[in-house]
Amino acid sequence: METLRLEATQYTPEIVLDPAGVIAFSGKSYPENTFDFYQPVMDWLEQYFSSELPERTVVNMEIIYFNSSSSKLFFDMFDLMEEASAEHALEVNWIYDPENESAREAGEDFIEDFDSLTLNLVEKG
Amino acid sequence: MSKSPDDKLIEELEGLRERFNRTTDRIVKDIGRQKKIMERSDKRQRQEYDELQRRFDEIERLNKEIEETQREVVFTMGAIGESRSKETGNHVRRVAEYSKLFALYYGLAEEEAELLKQASPMHDIGKVAIPDSILNKPGRLDEHEREVMNTHAQLGYEMLAYSTRPLLKLAATVAYEHHEKWDGSGYPRGLKGKDIHIGGRITALADVFDALGSERCYKNAWDDARIFELFREEKGKHFDPDLIDIFFQHIDEFLEIRDRLKDDL
Repeated sequence: METLRLEATQYTPEIVLDPAGVIAFSGKSYPENTFDFYQPVMDWLEQYFSSELPERTVVNMEIIYFNSSSSKLFFDMFDLMEEASAEHALEVNWIYDPENESAREAGEDFIEDFDSLTLNLVEKG
Repeated sequence: MSKSPDDKLIEELEGLRERFNRTTDRIVKDIGRQKKIMERSDKRQRQEYDELQRRFDEIERLNKEIEETQREVVFTMGAIGESRSKETGNHVRRVAEYSKLFALYYGLAEEEAELLKQASPMHDIGKVAIPDSILNKPGRLDEHEREVMNTHAQLGYEMLAYSTRPLLKLAATVAYEHHEKWDGSGYPRGLKGKDIHIGGRITALADVFDALGSERCYKNAWDDARIFELFREEKGKHFDPDLIDIFFQHIDEFLEIRDRLKDDL
């Protein structure tokens, strides 16, 4: 598998999907067509989780702001991850700026929704 | 041992039921999520929008603060220049208003006219560097004193010219050129006609109009008839003829400003 790397734009986050086990989203997410935008990301993740995995996977999510469609996509992603984490060491770091209350709350909500997914709230220093 | 057709059918149906249940679970889950997603998204949007609104308000407040501070600094600087020659604060306000009115009727855009309104009160700022003995001398100045006095235009320009701000740049030009005359007989550079910046031409007329109507240490206030006569005489000599025309066409408005901002006695 190859690394998928997307540069950040005004409306989309920087995305790095590295088959060595590091997955990172950073920035804002309110693309014009959210599902089209995330399609290659979902494809990559599905392929990643169905191939031979490294020892562990770390997911760093640092999303400042996202729209409702992105929220749906994150749910779908976390579904995939939660399912994979049954037999694989995987953890998600939800990284937020202490000044960004809504980003922190979003992380708290995801924790509530995914019982068996390791989701850490990480405040940026 | 091969399965009977019934067993096969049962197996197939059970498979279907399992897939149906999975799909149903998934749909139920999605419906539940959809509501959450919308509610949370609405909440985030509200928070973001509130935050933006707060910042916009703050920016607007700061903008007003900057504009008001600028206006006050400008009038204060103007008043400093004028106070050296015993002018009143209202003199600079009147000159400011006359200048804007001239600018608008001359055809300048609202923003340019407003900029001139703010710049023109600073035209005499160079007088801070003129000795009191000359500035407040009763009676006529001798030749040397006149020369010193006349340096205030150049001095004012030098004080303001360092700035790259449009307002102070215009103020520098106005300070430099407000004693130039249409026929080229003014100072410091003897510029002629439209080589004199419109801000300089306007401020010259606005300042003289107000000064003649006010009492000064070396003269009494002129009555209107005498001022108008001088304007007609100096049309195309001291003053831009177009501006003199504007003055007489809209004289009521100029007199209204004079009346509204008259000096407290």
